[in-house]
Amino acid sequence: MSRALLEVAGLTKRFGGVTAVDGLDLAVRSGETLGVIGPNGAGKSTLVSLVSGALRADAGRILLDGQEVTRLRAPARARLGIGRTHQVPRPFARMTVLENLLLGQIYGAAARTLRDARRESLGILDRTGLGDVADRLAGSLSLLRLKRLELARALALRPRLLLLDEIGAGLIESELPELIELIRSLRAEVEGILVIEHVVEVIQACSDRVAVLDWGRKLVEGTPGEVLHDPEVAAVYLGTSATGERTAAGSAGAAGAARTVSVLAAAAGDGRPERARAEPLLRLDGVAVSYGAIRALQDVTLEVRGGEIVTLLGANGAGKTTAARAVSGMVPLAAGEVRYRGERIDGWRPDQIAGRGVAHCMEGRHIFADLSVEENLELGGRAGTSRAERRDRLGAVYELFPVLAERRRVSGGLLSGGQQQMLAIGRALMAAPDFVIFDEISLGLAPVVVDRLYQALAAVNERGVAMLVIEQNVQRGLALADRAYVLEKGRVALAGAPAAIRDDPRLLALYVGEARGDLEDHPPASGGTHDWPA
Amino acid sequence: MSRAEPGALITSAVPARRAARATLAGALVAAGALLALAPSFTSDYVQQVSFRVLQYAALGQAWNLLAGYGGLVSLGSAAFIGIGAYTTAELTNHGLPLIPGMLVSGVFAAGFATIVSPALFRLRGLYFTIGTLALAEALRLFMVNYNGLGGNIGIFLKSAAPTTAGLYWLALGVAAAATGLVLLVLRTRLAISLRAVRDDEDAARQMGLVSFRTKLFAFTLAAFVMGVVGGLQAGKLSQIEPYGAFGLQWTVDVVTVALIGGLGTLGGPLVGAVFTVVLAELLNAYPSLHLAITGAIVIAVVRFAPEGLWGVLARGWARLAAAGPRTQRGARRVRQ
Repeated sequence: MSRALLEVAGLTKRFGGVTAVDGLDLAVRSGETLGVIGPNGAGKSTLVSLVSGALRADAGRILLDGQEVTRLRAPARARLGIGRTHQVPRPFARMTVLENLLLGQIYGAAARTLRDARRESLGILDRTGLGDVADRLAGSLSLLRLKRLELARALALRPRLLLLDEIGAGLIESELPELIELIRSLRAEVEGILVIEHVVEVIQACSDRVAVLDWGRKLVEGTPGEVLHDPEVAAVYLGTSATGERTAAGSAGAAGAARTVSVLAAAAGDGRPERARAEPLLRLDGVAVSYGAIRALQDVTLEVRGGEIVTLLGANGAGKTTAARAVSGMVPLAAGEVRYRGERIDGWRPDQIAGRGVAHCMEGRHIFADLSVEENLELGGRAGTSRAERRDRLGAVYELFPVLAERRRVSGGLLSGGQQQMLAIGRALMAAPDFVIFDEISLGLAPVVVDRLYQALAAVNERGVAMLVIEQNVQRGLALADRAYVLEKGRVALAGAPAAIRDDPRLLALYVGEARGDLEDHPPASGGTHDWPA
Repeated sequence: MSRAEPGALITSAVPARRAARATLAGALVAAGALLALAPSFTSDYVQQVSFRVLQYAALGQAWNLLAGYGGLVSLGSAAFIGIGAYTTAELTNHGLPLIPGMLVSGVFAAGFATIVSPALFRLRGLYFTIGTLALAEALRLFMVNYNGLGGNIGIFLKSAAPTTAGLYWLALGVAAAATGLVLLVLRTRLAISLRAVRDDEDAARQMGLVSFRTKLFAFTLAAFVMGVVGGLQAGKLSQIEPYGAFGLQWTVDVVTVALIGGLGTLGGPLVGAVFTVVLAELLNAYPSLHLAITGAIVIAVVRFAPEGLWGVLARGWARLAAAGPRTQRGARRVRQ
């Protein structure tokens, strides 16, 4: 057994009454990549913050290559060679992408002059696929590029130990092999890597060993094969996706939840899904949207009928979020029209559109971090509803997501990722909408939590609430849908019933790429340079 | 159009840029000479107004380094200016000449900044801002009530004030030095460090930056410049009293200068100082109108030109520069 590069013993961290990391023992050996998985709220990100020094441990020891670093502050640990990424990117927004890297170059393990730092940083940017945006302000980058910037910035430190916190979240399947190869190529220059990832393929392909955390403790540890087939792991983490079943659990849970959800569905007067109605609830006709010179959407025609779940699929940058923003009035149309219940709503302000019963659960959750769970929810149900009505809706959201009721006085920022997403969904439902847009609700969440969220969507839909669901995961998206659309480069490339789309050979080319086969059998790490596709 | 032509244009652009830089350097030298010689051909009044402009330019530079680049929005400027004024007053009364007195004032102000920084840097963002404001106000109240330094009457200066021209030259020197100092800082790695701390201090710490040191450097440097300007103010007056030397008006004026001129730009404080002081002179007879108009301008600048007057001027200049070569190119084409 080789020397331990990172050794963590009895590590404990409490936040108020919650013990996020609880007497954890863990080691990353020299030359090893350790995968860490676990449900949201298991303490994975807290572990990264404790090791990097962003948080101080309440108990336990942290050793880097035998040297005790438990009492050292963050900058000192960075200089010793501990580099990290942040799960939610924290760029230096008003500096250029290149400048973002300079700090690590100057103050990292091997100090450099500004001139050398610039040259070397450009190399790192090329390697992480950011070379073309070196001179752009970091604040103007998209979420996925910001994730890459997190990685590039950590590499600029020349770290010995690299802590990667969910840099794969939001990538579609065809992009994963390139991320995997990048991580593998890093093994040549970084002594040890700790990878936190919800994308199981990445964990499987990159890690020598995997540790599973639950409630701040280590549940299991072993080779990827052993761990991923462990029944206990499947129960706490992988959920139904591991067994390949579709959302069977969704319909079981739906029956129970349907009763409570009726309060949330204003349109449910007749208590029956409106699915049969031919009349479209929402219709986009020839919609085009431009960001400056870039056409993000072009001639998009799409409709959602009453009570229907429509899934919108597509690669990153295909225009899914833009389509959602076009519906809820957050971007102006360059052409075409949007009708809701037959009425033209394009050109309306977002609040006017929301007033008609359209709710938008935005990508990235957008929780008010300083407000409590209950206050966040209250804000969702403002417009002209009585206090009693709001209380009813609040109760219904709490029944849908009991964990929110438990934590109702906690500020939104302290929730785990899964709870935050529940809160975002609950907040959208507080408006008692007839139609909701859910944008990437599964982003960065453990499979078992995603199951829970999709059960909730099914339950809400049972009461006649129509939905447009934007989803990265093709199988999940199609399993839920009545109909689906696939966007490609801002245009509708495929449309129809889920089964037809799933079997359409073009789907593979459009969306999944040719990655499927590669996942099982990766070429050996080449150590060369790899660009991720933009 | 032949393929060689674009290449020819590019090569001709390099000497053009070099020429532009030489023109700029020449213009700076000429402006410097003009400013230095100004007292020989301007009235006392112009020199007095210029004195204020230069004072505010120096203060604006210091505050801009702190707030514009470092994100440390301080409302404690008056504390350092007051310390500088009192130090110079005491020292010159004990026989020290004005210029060494001003320098010692700067050192004292920087020393004070160092002492209070561990407490202040525990606060971030808006809390830091409120903390500095509270500190400055507390110091002013202390000076009013503490009798060791003259209490609310303050200190009378024994030595005669320099001539108007002398004060002008001193102020010119201070403003030029402050600008030069900031320029120097911006050429080092500190420029990166400060902006990183401004954008996300925690992330910067994770990159190995000891943010405390970076903030301390900016804070003490700004305090030094403010202390020197305070000393300069003492050199002009015959009496230093706490209401004026530690007055909130200083703090507010400095923020106004930097905001109107343009945060995070080197030229911003200079433009802002000229604009603010000249506006104050023009509206001298209507003090309340002056305040209202200044307030409205600050709001308009923040709303419509967040990069300030300097940003607007720079953009205009860039547009002119871009238009210049194009017309030349057009002319060349016509000649061909």
